[in-house]
This record gives sequence, C-alpha cells and structure tokens, in this order.
Amino acid sequence: MDKAIIKEIFLLIFEVFKALYEILWKKIKNLFGLTWDRFFGFSDVSSEQATYQEWGVTDEDKWPSIPEAPPINLEEPQQKIERKEVAYLPKTPDLPDGYGDNRIVLMVRDPEWLFTYWELRKDLMDSVLNTLGAMAHTVKIILRVYDVTDIIFNGYNAHKHLDIQVTGGTRSWYIKVSEPNRSFCVDIGFLTFNDTFWALSRSNAVRTPCMGVSDVVDEKWIGIEKLYEKLYVPVDTGISESVFERAHRNWQESLKEYVSSPESLSGLAVSKK
Amino acid sequence: MEKGYLSLILHAHLPFIRHPEYSEFLEEDWLFEAITETYIPLINVFDKLIDEGIDFRITMSLTPPLISMLTDALLQSRYIRYIEKRIQLTEKEIERTKHQPEFNQLAQMYYRHFTNVRYVFAEKYHKNIIHAFKKFQDMGKLEIITCGATHGFLPLMNNNINAMRAQIQVAVTHYEKHFGRKPRGIWLPECAYEPGVDQLLKEAGIRFFITETHGILFASPRPKYGIYAPIYCPSGVAAFGRDMESSKQVWSAKEGYPGDFSYRDFYRDVGFDLDYDYVKPYLHGDGKRTNIGIKYYRITGKTDHKEPYSHERALDKAAEHAGNFMFNREKQVEYLASIMDRKPIIVAPYDAELFGHWWFEGPDWINFLFRKIAFDQKTISLITPMEYLEIYPVNQVSTPSLSSWGYKGYSEYWLNESNDWIYRHLQKAAERMVELARTNLHLDENSSLRNKALNQAARELLLAQSSDWAFIMKAGTMVEYAVKRTKEHLSRFNKLYDDIRSNNIDVAWLADIEGKDNIFPDIDYHVYQ
Repeated sequence: MDKAIIKEIFLLIFEVFKALYEILWKKIKNLFGLTWDRFFGFSDVSSEQATYQEWGVTDEDKWPSIPEAPPINLEEPQQKIERKEVAYLPKTPDLPDGYGDNRIVLMVRDPEWLFTYWELRKDLMDSVLNTLGAMAHTVKIILRVYDVTDIIFNGYNAHKHLDIQVTGGTRSWYIKVSEPNRSFCVDIGFLTFNDTFWALSRSNAVRTPCMGVSDVVDEKWIGIEKLYEKLYVPVDTGISESVFERAHRNWQESLKEYVSSPESLSGLAVSKK
Repeated sequence: MEKGYLSLILHAHLPFIRHPEYSEFLEEDWLFEAITETYIPLINVFDKLIDEGIDFRITMSLTPPLISMLTDALLQSRYIRYIEKRIQLTEKEIERTKHQPEFNQLAQMYYRHFTNVRYVFAEKYHKNIIHAFKKFQDMGKLEIITCGATHGFLPLMNNNINAMRAQIQVAVTHYEKHFGRKPRGIWLPECAYEPGVDQLLKEAGIRFFITETHGILFASPRPKYGIYAPIYCPSGVAAFGRDMESSKQVWSAKEGYPGDFSYRDFYRDVGFDLDYDYVKPYLHGDGKRTNIGIKYYRITGKTDHKEPYSHERALDKAAEHAGNFMFNREKQVEYLASIMDRKPIIVAPYDAELFGHWWFEGPDWINFLFRKIAFDQKTISLITPMEYLEIYPVNQVSTPSLSSWGYKGYSEYWLNESNDWIYRHLQKAAERMVELARTNLHLDENSSLRNKALNQAARELLLAQSSDWAFIMKAGTMVEYAVKRTKEHLSRFNKLYDDIRSNNIDVAWLADIEGKDNIFPDIDYHVYQ
C-alpha cells in the first residue's frame, strides 16, 4: 500500500480519538467544573431580572455549617499592576477582577431594595463540591436572604428567608425585600436537589430605612398633627412622587426638554443635581 | 419682632479636577464657569450689601475639593487665562455687533461683567476668593460649613467607620487651616445621612447638619415640630430638615422661578451659535464646540425661536420673584407660628451653582430678597442654623431616618446598574487603607518615603470616593471621564498598597502622582487607624 495512504489512515484514526477525548473531557468538565467557573467570570449582566421570589421559613435540619475558609497568606503576592501603564500612559488602567476573597457584602439602596455583591474562592467551592460527591452536578447557586430584625442571628432563628437563584457569571444582585425598617442578611451557597443548603459565605446585616412617620411618640414632645398633614402623603407601595420627587431634578430635565438643545449641556451641569 | 426665621443655605461644590499633565483640560472649565457665573457674582452681592450697611445672614458649604481648587496656584493662573480670553472675545463681539443694538448692548454687558470678575478675582482678592468668604464669615454675615473631604456618599461606605470618619476629620482639619477655626456645621455629601453618622460629627466637634425633608419627618420618635425646628440626634448633634415648599418655588420645573421666559437661556451659547472659525480660538484644543459663557437670548417660551435677552427686563422679573418668595415665606411663617409654641425656622438649601450658572439672575434674586427682607416686612428674619440653636438650645431628641436629596430620596442614584461596580473596589480599598494605617502606627525617622506613600494612598482613596463619579456615570454625560477617574485613583491606591507592603516604593512614580493628586497636602494617614 502507498505509504501516503497509510499515513492518512493513521492521521484519521488519531483525529477520531482526539475528538472522542475532547467530548469526554467536556462531559467531565460539565459535571464538575462549570458549576463554579461561571461565578468567576466578570459580567455586567443586569441582575434585576425577574426571579421568582418567595419567603420561606428557615429549616433547622437542612442547615449545614459554613465551611471554614482557608487562611489567607498575607505575604501572598497580590494582583500586581504594571507600573508604566498606571503612571505614564493616558490609558485607563483596569481594576482587578477580584481580590482573592471569599465574601458576600450587603448594602441598602432604599426602603424596598438591597444590593449585594460577592467574590467566591474556587478552592473553597471545590472542597464543598468534593464533599457533595455525585450530588455536585445538581447544585444551584442561591442567595438566601434572611429577615433578622431585632434578633441575634445564629443561622437558624431568622423570622423568614427568601431564596434567589443566581445565574451565569453574575457577581452582584438587587434584592427586592419591600420591607422598610427591617434587618436582613444574606448567605450565598449551594442548594442541592434534596434542598440541602451549603453556605459559602454570609454577609453583614443591614437595616432598611423606615418609610413613614414614626409611631413612637415622646410624651414631652407630642407631634403637631397639622405639620404632618400638609407634608406627608402616605402611599401603599413605592415612594410617593409628590413628596420624594426631587423638584430641582425635575426642573433641569424639563429645561432640557423644551428650552434647549441637549448637546450643548455644559460639563458643570452634569456634575450637579 | 419677627415671627419666624428663614435660613438660606447654598451648597458650593465641584469635584477635584486638576490636570497639570495637560496644558488645558475641558473639565477644568467647570470650576472656571462657576467662579465667573456664581462665586464672584455672589461675592459682589455680599460686598455691596455690607458696603450699604444692609444686614443679612446666609450659610454656605464650601467643600474641601472646591477650596483646594480655589487655592491652587496652577488653577488660579489658568483661570486668569480663561477670563482674559473671554474679555478678548467680548471686545471682538462689541465690534461685530455694532450695527445690532440689542446684541451690542449685551456684548457690552458681558465685557463689563468679565472685566469686573477679572478685577475682583485677580486684584481685589489676589486670586484667592476664599479670602472673600472668610471675610464675610468673620463679619458674622456668612456661616461657612464644611462637607465630606471629597464629597463621599457616607451611607454607601458599608459602615466602614474609619473610612467615614476620615471623610469628616480630613474635612474639618482642612477647614481649620483655611478659616482659622473649626466648622460648626456640615453639609453631608448629597445630604445623605444614616443613623450613626452623627456620632462621627460629634467626635469632630460639629454641632449641626442638614437632612432631606423625610430624614426628619420619618425620624423616631416623631419630631414634634416636623421640619420647622431642629432635632438632636442621640449624639447631641442637631439635624435641620429641608423645607419642601421653598425648595420647590426655586427648583420646580412648572412653578420654579428660573424657567421664567424673561430669564437668560442657558443653552444658547455663542460657542454653538457663531461661525466656527470665529469662535475656534476660544474653544479647547480639540476644537469641539463648547459653552463659552456668552449667551444672547432669553428663554422666550417652549419654542426653538428665541428672542434677544433683555437684562433690565430680567432684573425686574428677579425682583418680582424675590418679592413673591418673601411673601410666601411670610404667609408660611405666620401659619406655622400660629400652630407652634416657638418661632419656626424654614431651611431652604440649594446648589450654589444654580445661582448664576444655571439661573443667570440668581445672585440678583438673592440680592433683592435680602434687601426686601431688611426693609419691606417684619414677619421673618434671616438666620443661620447655629444662631437658631443659640436661641433655642433645648430641642427634642430623635434619630433621623436614612435619606439623601437624590432622586427618590435614598441611595439609588449612586447605586444602580450604571455605577454599582465601583463599590466592591472602593470598599476593598477602604479596608486596605485601614489595614495600612494599623500596620504602620509608628514609623521611625528613616521612613519618610513610606510616610509619603501612606499619605498618598489616603489621598487616592479619598479622591476615588467622591460621589460625583457615581453621579456622572448615572447622569450619562462625560461618563468616560468619571470611569477613568475612579479607575485611576483606585489603581494608584492598589499599587501604593502593594508597594508599601513589599517595601518597594517607586520614588519617581510617587512624586509624579503626588504632583497630580495634590489635594490635602497636610493629610496624615493615621486618621484611618
């Protein structure tokens, strides 16, 4: 047989094996890897997507302890930034994707909305997934939001909780709690198909502001009702536009609308309210 | 004898923008426009009232970044260049419009205005207009209050007490250096308060701050007098609430004075209206059309057709509006005094740059208002918040609610999809700064380089925290600049953090950024410990 043909056949066999290997490797990766990979990607995905949210009651039995994060070596080199890029080139420098932390942080936006961002360590997630064994490929990443108003939260005694599944590459989320004047904290972790929750990190606690006139009255300083009648318009949901709409903002915007050509907006204007 | 008080408060602020690495820089114009159109016209109003022996009271916040820019030699000399170019252009304009009397009159008005501004800036106050404000304060007419060191939005600092404290302490030290005494009041950046902030103010010796209306209305226990008297926070610091009625009259689109058809139109500027080659020498190096500050038309109406501006007609309107504002405050005070067992205070805060920059006749309106209050009525007196506290030292104790004066009244404008990415970096940098301060408590004599690097790290963090960057990202104009500034300061901070910890400080690079980001030359990083 022609040597060239033999060579072609060998190459073909090699290609077939290579393809099979790749398919197999992909499967393995799907099984163990992708679950966390997407949480290391940096993404601007809008997180105010509609997610089905429902308050539940914390279930003590299903509550595992938070795995200990391995200690961070302080001498470990941090993300180094090329000196020349920062100092001498007009190019805008990039910020690091992460800081090697395993944490979730919770912030208040207004009486109804919270904002959370997180960074998770791959080694820590690995160790949890290893523990889960075969269940690892079924896990979902969720945010578990706890109502911890006026209690010392021990992980089991929240008034109620809310689970939010987070998706692809997301590293932050807006959480609608719709409850003024209450305290919340949030865990991020894995939820298995049998509803076991493995927390990876717990946030700080925050309190939403109140959104109405206080019921608390100081006997020495009984409020003058008339002063409140005139000013405050209670509303069922949302924030009363009449009370809260910033008049000055309004003015500026309508000026732009009907008095002006927006392209001539001065720099000073945009730096101010 | 008056039945109540009016406290007019102007918040004067611009972010720290200074670029020695360029021979000129577009965003530096924000400062120059504000000097020309707002700060010096206000100084002229105050000087004239004093010359004529007319008493008045006003409160102004001059933020540390603004004071830093106004006292910076480079920006002062660049301002002279800016105003001289405008004088030169008005000279040409007087010639160009000689056969159009309506415009010629205006060209002459601008010529007089710019030459007067140049004189007040360069000769009367020797390029440092902070001296003017200090003079008014020392005379007891003006109460200057401070602000966050770089206008950082405190409720979004995630309770990093050290970072919040540094915003307050650095501002107080800076104020003391420029005004020879400690500030008694503060304008919280974006009027943003959260419970606990008052404790940091107390530590800094600050006696009062201003909150948005609902900060007081939703306070607990319920404040007896609503927003018409201050409350004491548990720390003992007084909180004054903003009055919606008086705010609306000035700001509101529908009812607000500045939208009157007789007033000058902000958007019709010769930078856009005149022949390109003719105005090109007065534009920036890139040749892009921008506002020059010479505007010939009045608002006219909801139309693109604009009538020429008449300054006399506009001044008549300003006087009329001042009378209307005063009349409404009199009625308001009469009503409030009838249901309260003490004299009410109406707190009316505005952005200073509204007056003159946006609303060209704004400083004249203040002038008319103060004169009318002095001569035409007896119901209201002007007062500063501090003077009110001296008259009424006993006040109800109550905790204000989280609030800001931004859109919807909370933190949304500074925390939304357009800018939320900054917080993970800002919060990390703040934590790292605290760590640096705590691991470098005592430096020996040979550590001056390390000391410099630590102080510069504090400056970079503060500059990154300025709420203006998040605001601009949301507002949608000049976003690129705000993103660049945020990333630049954070990157500089991160590099300093790494260099300090590895004891490998880059001397030349440090000197370079010290020259650029030269705010707070006397800062001491120990403020973060």
